[in-house]
Amino acid sequence: MGSIQREIRLESDRDPGFADEIRSMPGCEHLDRCIQCATCSGVCPLSVYMDHTPRRIMELTRDGFKDDVLRSNTIWLCASCYECQAECPMEVGVTDVMVALKNKAIASGVAPKDVPTPVLAREFFRMVRETGRVSEGKLVQRLYLKTGPAKFFGMIGLGRDLMRTGRFSLRSERMKRPEDLQRVLDGTPGVGK
Amino acid sequence: MEHEVHTNGKEEVRIGFYICHCGSNIGGTIDVAAVADYVRTLPGVVVSKDYKYMCSNAGQDMIVEDIEINRLNRIVVAACSPLLHEKTFRSATHKGGINPFFFHMVNIREHGSWVHEDKALATEKAKAVARGAVGRVRFHKALEKRKEPVTQSVLIVGGGIAGIQAAQTLSNAGKKVYLVEREPTIGGHMALFDKTFPTLDCAACILTPKMTDIGSDPNITLWSYAEVVDVKGYVGNFTAQIRHKPRYIKEDLCVGCLDCIDNCVFKQGNTDDEFNQSLSKRKPVYIPFPQAVPKLVVIDPEACTHLNGGKCEQSCATACERDAIDFNQKESFDDIEVGTVIVTTGFKTFDAARKPLYGYGRYDNVYTALEVERLVTSSGPTGGEVVLRDGRRPKTVAIVHCVGSRDHQTNRWCSRVCCMYSLKLAHLIKEHTGAEVFNFYIDMRCAGKGYEEFYERLLEEGNRFVRGRVAEVTDVPVSAEEEGKLVVKVEDSLAGFVRRIPVDMVVLSTGLEPRQDASNVRRMFNISCSSEGFFLERHPKLAPISTTTDGVFIAGCCQGPKDIPDTVAQAGFAAGEAMALLDKGFVEMEPMTSFVNEELCSGCKTCIGLCPFSAITRDDAKEVAVINPVLCKGCGVCVAACPSGAITQNLFEDCEIFAEIEEVLAHA
Repeated sequence: MGSIQREIRLESDRDPGFADEIRSMPGCEHLDRCIQCATCSGVCPLSVYMDHTPRRIMELTRDGFKDDVLRSNTIWLCASCYECQAECPMEVGVTDVMVALKNKAIASGVAPKDVPTPVLAREFFRMVRETGRVSEGKLVQRLYLKTGPAKFFGMIGLGRDLMRTGRFSLRSERMKRPEDLQRVLDGTPGVGK
Repeated sequence: MEHEVHTNGKEEVRIGFYICHCGSNIGGTIDVAAVADYVRTLPGVVVSKDYKYMCSNAGQDMIVEDIEINRLNRIVVAACSPLLHEKTFRSATHKGGINPFFFHMVNIREHGSWVHEDKALATEKAKAVARGAVGRVRFHKALEKRKEPVTQSVLIVGGGIAGIQAAQTLSNAGKKVYLVEREPTIGGHMALFDKTFPTLDCAACILTPKMTDIGSDPNITLWSYAEVVDVKGYVGNFTAQIRHKPRYIKEDLCVGCLDCIDNCVFKQGNTDDEFNQSLSKRKPVYIPFPQAVPKLVVIDPEACTHLNGGKCEQSCATACERDAIDFNQKESFDDIEVGTVIVTTGFKTFDAARKPLYGYGRYDNVYTALEVERLVTSSGPTGGEVVLRDGRRPKTVAIVHCVGSRDHQTNRWCSRVCCMYSLKLAHLIKEHTGAEVFNFYIDMRCAGKGYEEFYERLLEEGNRFVRGRVAEVTDVPVSAEEEGKLVVKVEDSLAGFVRRIPVDMVVLSTGLEPRQDASNVRRMFNISCSSEGFFLERHPKLAPISTTTDGVFIAGCCQGPKDIPDTVAQAGFAAGEAMALLDKGFVEMEPMTSFVNEELCSGCKTCIGLCPFSAITRDDAKEVAVINPVLCKGCGVCVAACPSGAITQNLFEDCEIFAEIEEVLAHA
């Protein structure tokens, strides 16, 4: 007989301030409007791979089950296609909530090490901040160096093909005065260093 | 206390001031005793008191007694909104023996305690506005209300179940009713239904006898295929112009034998039958449905060959033994005078094509609920057979709730009837076809007598319920079971996973919304709409069928989505209110109208075009503007616009307004 996985949740499992933190982030103001109609989960192209559907993430978030949402794979599988947000009848910023949760997970150090999404996000942002541009070749190098250099060699064939058709380049790009952009970014609440 | 004599230049002014606690509504925020103490020090104030509830009998009696004992001749009450109790205190003032317009009311609740948190500042504000009122009331003049007789007839706009019910109730009381319906027949949406929830009464069986009664009632003038095009006047004395659209049939000759239809050159229908939701065709000469009232045929000028200038042997006209067909008929007009109006213009259903993910208009087998209503009706296009457009009988059916409703992208409101009519359709589809029926819902809203029980019955009948708003209807299969089917994609939020359910037929339970031309109707009758476009009631609880225009009532779905029982109840209520006005026999006109000082008026006509009530004309002999006090509503536009300062408004004379402003500003 297998062991029973489910457990009873207590009030002490909740973090009552968590929902407030999420609601205060851009695009997440209408979290409480959610009527659990499940349109988001229905339209989500990736919800089958998620441990919690987007609908349940909305519910768990506003109830303050911080650990469940921050440790779920849902937020990392979300590809930000915005289908859920576009179809939501209550105009809840479902994708925006996902982004906010990703930020929280990274900030509180619970982001999984083996999922490349947070690494990609961090490297992407760092590169934009430093150079004002995204240089794909460099970004891919950094991503694989941090998440598993072995995989990098497996991708060489694909990279070569993409380069041949002009869809991928190793060239580095740079804007004229990235320090101006840095000042803007660093002064933006929730974005700065 | 010795009182200093204070005058307004004509008489000694003796003011009584009363401030209400309204329980803790006002007293909890404003220091009412301090306001009363302050006002007592103002010139002319003889009495200044605070009391728990001024609107109570004891509060009113206090005013009456003080007027007698202290010889008061001006009264000021600081309390709630004048909309609630101005009348109350005016009659108390009158009861005390002085003119009711020697009274002024200050709103320190809605404009004070309810909107302020800082108690000290709210108290200071109350003192300021009380001071303003004391300043202005000394200039008030004695005014009289005018009485006008009420025309003993009622105009009802819209012949759905609401209009029918109101017309019958009024007729039963012996009142003259004009019932105007835009379509060729009365009956409205209810005439389209097969059964009614939750009792499954046959809609036609309960509606058509009422329709027939309307058609033969001597108290009711029924004008179908007609529209109200203009309304003028005021409560008790409205005039309305009705436009009759040409039927191309002499209404007094046609007996509804339908020979013309049988003999039309078109042997089959050539145009979409609106009554059957375009699921069948009708001929250019037609009757909407067999039990139509009035039972008169109509010729559709768009579809008729002859009226389109084409060559036609006009076999319909030849076939008519009574020579009732008149291809030269033109529109005609009637002007009527009525005392009150009841607007019962109904609703339209949400256009399902506005939710493209549900595939309406793209997939043949996606239907609206109204279309399915026609399919399950034995008098419908398929004779009551629920079959798809290709003739197949569906084995699985999906009913999608909340289409267009509870959706910030379309209509935010719950349409209230869809849960119940979806259950009814589920029952009827299952009964007709034996199909497996899925209901996809967000919440089941079955509030009403016998409604929850009906839901339980459906559950027990083996209908399937999936809690989740449908994300998409698609015809792209991902497995063999989905081949050739429509697939409903949804998260079953109770089970906790996303499902794909293949079905043969999808029914979209579209919500209710205001009619497209509701804003024109609103303007014509000078009533208001709420933000969603339904007509606005004067008070959501206590005056749900009154409007901001006296004498104009609303009932049924033009006021908001509702089911048949609620519509009938509202229509009866509206009829009762209309009857109360008619039986009273007169209306009292508020005296705060404007008048022209002929010596100052230059006859420039500025005011005439601005008056929203067409109350101003020009006396060309004297070359001055003349205001009809009966039409004037006291809005003050003319007063503000007059370049010569020749127009004055009762209760808002310059001396009154300036005194009030000065006193409010002096309090600092």
